[in-house]
Amino acid sequence: MVRPPEGTAPVLELVGIDLHYGYVKALHGIDCKIRPGEVVGLLGDNGAGKSTLLKVLSGAHKPSAGMIRVNGQEVVFSRPRDAAEAGVQMVYQDLALVDSRDIATNLCLGRETLRKGPLGWLGFLDKKAMRRAAERELASLGVTTASMSHPVEMLSGGQRQVVALARSAMRVTGSQRGVLLLDEPTAALGYEQTRQVEELIKRLAERGIGIILVTHNLPLCVAVADRIVVLNRGRKVADIATEEADNDAIVGWITGSKAPQEQLAG
Amino acid sequence: MTHTSTQDRDAPAAATPPGAVAARRIGRPNPVSVLVFARDRGMIVLWVLMLAAFSIWAQPYFATFTNATLIANAAAITAIFAAGVAFGVLTGLLDLSLPGTAAVAGIVTGKVLISGAPVLVAILAGLAVGPIVGLANGLIVLRGMNPLVVTIGTLSVLTGLASVISGGVPVDGLYALHAIGTDSYFRIPAPVFVAAALFVVGTIFLTKTRGGTRMLSVGGNAEAVRRAGVSSSRYVLLGFMLVSTCAALGGIVIAAFVTSAAPTPSTSVLFEALTAVALSGMPLSGGRGSLPRVLVGALIIQTISSALVIKGVQPYWSTVLTGVLLLAALIAERSLTVAVANRVVEQKPAAQKAAVKKAGS
Repeated sequence: MVRPPEGTAPVLELVGIDLHYGYVKALHGIDCKIRPGEVVGLLGDNGAGKSTLLKVLSGAHKPSAGMIRVNGQEVVFSRPRDAAEAGVQMVYQDLALVDSRDIATNLCLGRETLRKGPLGWLGFLDKKAMRRAAERELASLGVTTASMSHPVEMLSGGQRQVVALARSAMRVTGSQRGVLLLDEPTAALGYEQTRQVEELIKRLAERGIGIILVTHNLPLCVAVADRIVVLNRGRKVADIATEEADNDAIVGWITGSKAPQEQLAG
Repeated sequence: MTHTSTQDRDAPAAATPPGAVAARRIGRPNPVSVLVFARDRGMIVLWVLMLAAFSIWAQPYFATFTNATLIANAAAITAIFAAGVAFGVLTGLLDLSLPGTAAVAGIVTGKVLISGAPVLVAILAGLAVGPIVGLANGLIVLRGMNPLVVTIGTLSVLTGLASVISGGVPVDGLYALHAIGTDSYFRIPAPVFVAAALFVVGTIFLTKTRGGTRMLSVGGNAEAVRRAGVSSSRYVLLGFMLVSTCAALGGIVIAAFVTSAAPTPSTSVLFEALTAVALSGMPLSGGRGSLPRVLVGALIIQTISSALVIKGVQPYWSTVLTGVLLLAALIAERSLTVAVANRVVEQKPAAQKAAVKKAGS
């Protein structure tokens, strides 16, 4: 994988993000930059603030202080829709697919193609075009699942994850580059399926999408991430290129037995 | 190799179900498709068998054109309400206020008609009751209340309102509504055409349009729709409004057919509609099911009732039989769904093993 050059403008930039729940400081001055095509592994023990940070990025929580920039522009997310519109898409752990509907419907949910002409004004769908779009999307991600008219409930766990990822990917690859937030994408998957999702993440990054990957799966993180960010008790304790990090150090930062990186301490 | 052995193991299991299955198996060697077919089309097969059996048992009167129109007419009215219930269930809602909405709509149409307004205005006035009631139901439910309890409340309100508007007595002499009630076209009673139009439009809406497919998705997983950036509340409101509009239409058609609008809601029509929906195999959990099958459900109910009437069996038995059929349908639906799920799950570990093997080699 080609690591994006240092100079590239970040797709997503966090400056001094604080989040307080009453007296509890869940996040403390988080700074972070994600460049296009970069996969950032976000690690940390339970309660370190990973999920909270994702919620801030996806618009579910409003930070108490700090600033978020998407493609250089300052944004304020007061609900998940704002984040989605700015190009930041969350892929949820529980997938959030409609089991009874087919793959094409799930992929196109919320951005269905309408027929041209008067039938389109009446809200008639162009199902063929939707199926083609879904097929094209999955093919470009290098995955072949079942037929597009197959209900999602008939798919295996890995295939469902692929559909969920592809759906989010379709939404961020618009006119400008976007960011995908992945929360434990391989939590429920077997070995082969995890490999598949790994490949998929790399391919999404090649498109220029910035990816934040939250996981407990250290090998996965090392395999796909360009950079690893470790949180501990709401603070960023490490931000390091994957090739420069060794496993022991990462585990040390996660558990808190290793002191924060020097440039971050302070 | 693993995959082939799975097929081998499944093949004898698929061959075991006797009789009628043989016809269904043509071109569908996959046991999952057979089960899915039995789940999705079983009702139609049952209805056809029922027609054949009753034609012999209740001859010569059952298998006549006149009797067919009688069944169709009765089924049409059940089907209009069943379509309403179905729209609700597909959106994930159970609306029990239908009889109340129907009563108020009938009374409003009757009152407007008696006051000297044109027929069309009277019908539109009655139909307008639908969206209003639906909107009220929807807005209350969206505040986090249980649809079942809310609609029981509105049923009570509407029942009272119907009597208040009519002064507690039926509005008689609604002969002017003959075009959708007592008339026949091509010897087929008018309500049949109303129901047919409703089902055609409803089916197209659900399967071909954005609104319909989104409504079904809301019924399947409202949270997923919300996360996709679509307002699910809008489709919940739409669902409630469709339910009540069908109920209003049903109320007006009944009033037209009996030329009188009664202020007392008929709960039997609600239960027949619920039965038709359940017979169609539509799970109450929402998001799946098809409108045409609901029509078959309505036809089954009226077919049973017609045959028993012809044979002079006490009409109470018809209700008993419909109930038994409903329970049987529920059990069949459940066991077929479980069987389908088991098959799908059974195939998965095998496929996974094969994949791991491939990766290892």
